[in-house]
Amino acid sequence: MHISEGVLSAPVLVTGAALAAAGISVGLKKMDYEKIPQVAVLSSAFFVASLIHVPIGPSNAHLIINGINGVLLGWLCFPSILVALALQAILFQFGGITVLGVNTVNMALPALICYYLFSRLVNRERGPISLAAAFACGFLAVFLSGILVALCLLFTEKAFISVAKLIVLAHLPVMIIEGIITLFCMVFLKRVKPELLGGIHEKGS
Amino acid sequence: MKKGHNKSLIIPFLASVLIISTTLPALAHKVIIFAWVEGDTVFTESKFSGGRRAINAQVLVLDREGKQLLEGRTNDKGEFSFKVPKITDLRVVLTAGTGHKGQWTIPESEIREAGCVLGEKRAVESSQPITVGLSKEEIKDLIEDSLDRKLRPIVRMMTESQSKGPSVNEIVGGIGYILGLMGVAIYFKNKGKKR
Repeated sequence: MHISEGVLSAPVLVTGAALAAAGISVGLKKMDYEKIPQVAVLSSAFFVASLIHVPIGPSNAHLIINGINGVLLGWLCFPSILVALALQAILFQFGGITVLGVNTVNMALPALICYYLFSRLVNRERGPISLAAAFACGFLAVFLSGILVALCLLFTEKAFISVAKLIVLAHLPVMIIEGIITLFCMVFLKRVKPELLGGIHEKGS
Repeated sequence: MKKGHNKSLIIPFLASVLIISTTLPALAHKVIIFAWVEGDTVFTESKFSGGRRAINAQVLVLDREGKQLLEGRTNDKGEFSFKVPKITDLRVVLTAGTGHKGQWTIPESEIREAGCVLGEKRAVESSQPITVGLSKEEIKDLIEDSLDRKLRPIVRMMTESQSKGPSVNEIVGGIGYILGLMGVAIYFKNKGKKR
């Protein structure tokens, strides 16, 4: 779901970069000492996840795991995803440096939305509600990223609905797999290290 | 960790093993176009990194100034070929949809070296019976023709190697960078704490 270099027009790039900068500055402000290793681990996971190709369906889709990033990190997913995307751009030539801002927003904003929608549910509830929330978190994060990518391409490809359909359909297997991965991840962390799920705003309150 | 947790650990563990084992044929998200000249024709091959071919993708051919010379679509093997429209640096741009784009530049010198002569037929058809008194140019053309043919597999091999996914070095290197950044961040946070 990385957008390549030279596809987008300048206004889209600038808007993306500005939004990403805003998200990152909030994220960096919220990043306290104990959170740094967690951000690094999830950044590494995001970095590597793009290599896991999902061979179902017609497209060239890979895992994204922005849902896990979002639900565990909240605002901190912005710096985490930025670092991972920058390294993917430099080392793997996925995406590119000029589209870094746009790509960061495309991945991190849905993660943040999922954090606000689901982190309390995942954390507080027990049993099926928590499981469903975890699945929905992984699923929806990828879905929203697809919509955002289509929105960015709207200005160059001029056909939002068809592009969005194409991206969302291609990523349907990825969404389901990510839902399942997020679910297992949350179940695991809840048993083993529940304090990780607290999120940031829980700590303050 | 308590003993009761052991069972619940098995499933995530298996899941992660499964995920790691599927990473090995590292396939991913980049599109590459590779172009080379043979005589007066430019051949291109388009692939996603990992080897899947980019089918029915748009190919634009631009000159040095970025002016569009011609346009076409890749066939079901991801290939597209065209006659050299103009002797200049040719930029071949591939747009594979949903935000994927790749390009390849053929320098003017390469087109000239390939023996491309615009507007006129090549001096000698290689099938023509060779009798007597070949001129220097005719011999040169014949050699170039056969070289093109012989080198084709090598060019193909180069295309294959172009479309390899990221190597283990790059993956481990990337994770190393992230750990390094973590160290830097902790260092600066720590400094602030002491003050």
